[in-house]
Amino acid sequence: MSAEASNPAATPTPCEDSQGDGRWMSQHVRFVSECKEREPDVVFVGDSLVQLMHQFGIWRQLFSPLHCLNFGIGGDATQHVLWRLSNGELDNISPKVVVLWVGTNNHGHTAEQIASGIMEIVQLIHNKLPNAHTLVLGVLPRGRMPNPLRQRNAEVNKLVQDALSSLSHASFFNVDPGFVLSDGSISHQDMYDYLHLTAHGYQAVCEPLHAQIKSLLDKPLIIRAKSIV
Amino acid sequence: MSGGDLNPAAVPLPVEDRQGDGRWMSQHTRFVQECKDGEPEVLFVGDSMVQLMEQYEIWKEMFSPLHALNFGLAGDTTCNVLWRLQNGELENIRPKVVVLWVGTNNHDHTAEQVAGGIVAIAQLLTNRLPKAKIVVLGLLPRGEQPNPLREKNATVNRLLRSWLPRLGQALFLDVSNEFLHSDGSISSQDMFDYLHLTPTGYNTLAKPLSDLLLQILEETPEERRASLV
Repeated sequence: MSAEASNPAATPTPCEDSQGDGRWMSQHVRFVSECKEREPDVVFVGDSLVQLMHQFGIWRQLFSPLHCLNFGIGGDATQHVLWRLSNGELDNISPKVVVLWVGTNNHGHTAEQIASGIMEIVQLIHNKLPNAHTLVLGVLPRGRMPNPLRQRNAEVNKLVQDALSSLSHASFFNVDPGFVLSDGSISHQDMYDYLHLTAHGYQAVCEPLHAQIKSLLDKPLIIRAKSIV
Repeated sequence: MSGGDLNPAAVPLPVEDRQGDGRWMSQHTRFVQECKDGEPEVLFVGDSMVQLMEQYEIWKEMFSPLHALNFGLAGDTTCNVLWRLQNGELENIRPKVVVLWVGTNNHDHTAEQVAGGIVAIAQLLTNRLPKAKIVVLGLLPRGEQPNPLREKNATVNRLLRSWLPRLGQALFLDVSNEFLHSDGSISSQDMFDYLHLTPTGYNTLAKPLSDLLLQILEETPEERRASLV
């Protein structure tokens, strides 16, 4: 049995307004009302790597034509995304694909906790949207040179990939085109601050991602009978 | 006024590596190296508002042609910018203009302290680059609706407007009003998270800033034509 209560990464938690301008809640409220107004085929959910994608030309070029919504919020960890999806961001919509990209901001959590948090989100999405396929993107390496966070993120990916392999409603997708060079470094041409992607970095990530999403959208919708437990 | 070590916002401080991937220092080191390699006419320095500008098309269109370097670092306070400028980011370069945009992240300081910190940076720049003009950008409003941080940032701007003229070389440019709608709200079309600018938001700022920079650059004795596309 999973122990969500003792795993902070898997416990739905809103972001506290520590700065005083309520921006996190404003963004969440905006996403909830987009759910009432729009009929997306694809919903992207996650942290700043999702949010910033929306600001680059590549979004309009590759994803707008697929009727996508972008529910990324900078700084979000798995527990924040879990809270948002439990509180309206999956209501009134029936997307065919949910793209989930989160985990790099779970500071202080172990790889196991983060992976459990991601799987908790996958389960929640399946409960709310039984006909949707969830595409879980691998967490990218970060930092200019090798460091403990790269190891943590790689471990998260391994655990998540294993856990997803037995599911039919969700799958793992590695979007790292090889950002780590032969000398172990990451270039600022790909990640301007060794975490966030440049337009060039997004190009390398989004082209294969777009192809993968298109192939999921092109699959006929399989109506699954409720499985008898 | 800025009160040296009585003002915590005017104390030079590096950012501690709490996350574990050393990204702040990696970026600072890269900027120091860029000082050895480049001969910028314009230097942009500050926080994420500066850093993000370089990721959008507007940078290539309007500021690269002016031979600009971008030393923006997300999350930076006045203390962090002061430290960076005192530790290599002004070595070997003699820009004609420095654009300074920082202060919105100084959460532990009062408006008076923040304004004092910004003036301290402008003073440092004037000491190190006696022939350069310093363009200080006003802090933009933040948050979707009126809130205490808007008042704080507006107070900082008010103080800057009255303190900066004493420096002689410093100019103040504030485009805050362009972002406030009649009902007091800020649109996500301008600030995707009610803090960071979208490409549309940057266009609003870029035109008056670029005009000002061209004016300053044309005033200097040497003939230099910015290559405009």
